Amino acid sequence: MKYKDYYAVLGVPRDADAETIKKAYRKLARQHHPDVAKAEGSEARFKEVAEAYATLRDADKRAAYDSLGTRRSGEEFSPPPQWQHDFAGDAFSEADLADLLAALGRGRRGAGRASVPLRGRDYEAGVRLGLEDAHRGTTVSLDVEHEDGTRTLAVTVPAGVTEGQRLRLRGKGGPGRHGGPAGDIYLHITLAPHPVFRPDGHDLYFDLALAPWEAALGAEVEVPTLDGPVLLSVPAGTRSGRKLRLRGRGLATGHGGRGDQYAVVHIDVPASLAPRERELFEELARVSSFRPRAFIAKEPAHADQPS
Amino acid sequence: MQTNLPDALPLEPGLLVDQGEFAHMCGLSVTEVDELVEYGAVTPLAGGPGGPVKFSSALVPPLRRALKLRADFDLDLFTVSMLVSYLQRIAELEHEVRVLRAHLPRAVGHLREGPATWREPHA
Repeated sequence: MKYKDYYAVLGVPRDADAETIKKAYRKLARQHHPDVAKAEGSEARFKEVAEAYATLRDADKRAAYDSLGTRRSGEEFSPPPQWQHDFAGDAFSEADLADLLAALGRGRRGAGRASVPLRGRDYEAGVRLGLEDAHRGTTVSLDVEHEDGTRTLAVTVPAGVTEGQRLRLRGKGGPGRHGGPAGDIYLHITLAPHPVFRPDGHDLYFDLALAPWEAALGAEVEVPTLDGPVLLSVPAGTRSGRKLRLRGRGLATGHGGRGDQYAVVHIDVPASLAPRERELFEELARVSSFRPRAFIAKEPAHADQPS
Repeated sequence: MQTNLPDALPLEPGLLVDQGEFAHMCGLSVTEVDELVEYGAVTPLAGGPGGPVKFSSALVPPLRRALKLRADFDLDLFTVSMLVSYLQRIAELEHEVRVLRAHLPRAVGHLREGPATWREPHA
């Protein structure tokens, strides 16, 4: 196996005390942690630092490691037979140094020591779904890395999951040891952006543009839904920002029902006017008593009609 | 291997689990859960006097996240208890932002990228 100089990895002398080792580890961990470090190689460096600390923070493991002596990093070596007898117990001729030292934490060779049932490892995975898949339910493939290779699971995500939801797949994680239970998988659900809809829980929102006359007079307009286009009645006098509800057209709740869909109205105006359109708008401006800024100017919304 | 309901359980406020199961899901001992309760990081929802103590499964994700940071940075349990509160607050704020973004029309939310205003395909 290859020798790893854990003291050099952490940048501490071989006689460093526990507090020094801990500080050095935390500094390097903070620097290379996947949550903050995006540079290439950061994850590998973080694992290297964590491996070094896992050995040096434990008094027994550190003693075992120190007794291997000082070698060059990467040097091939074998622990002396006496070392194996004192520390390693069963032979680990194919293990690397980290495995060997990690095994010390799981117990030493001792007569009559029973194997303790160990629970399998938990896994966390993110799943990004399209809106339609979240609505109807779907099956996704998860690649889960185990010590003995990669396992692919086909997981059914039920209808009705929402953005940010967490699901627990009990007993589908890593296998247990010595009769211990299997671990779990924890899924984090995210929804891919949709070209039309914005989800809020099981409700859906979309923007609906209306012409000024549609908003003022009311109209029947075709709008999209997950089930296909439907006609929406826009009441006369609909203002910008109003939310028009389409009951039961939202996402499935997973309990047999559905959320609602809302059309968020905004009133659009033509970017340019044909001559006749301009005439009509100018006449409307002359005859109308509507004052949209009346509240701000403390004027009545509708002034007295001119004689 | 196909995994179907009821193996897929949503972790949400309405799903309560007993203390042993809660500890198991978070990778903690029951004693450590008691310690977090003492710190005020988690609040048990008791089943009644002498009844089984239960916890909301919605606490599991932030606690698992905090415990991962505990392992990564060799933190003590008290620090974990502080982290849990902040992680919950972050999750609440993220949820609020998502809700606000869903409700804002695109014309107003020009700082937000998102779906375009609905236009009829034949318009």
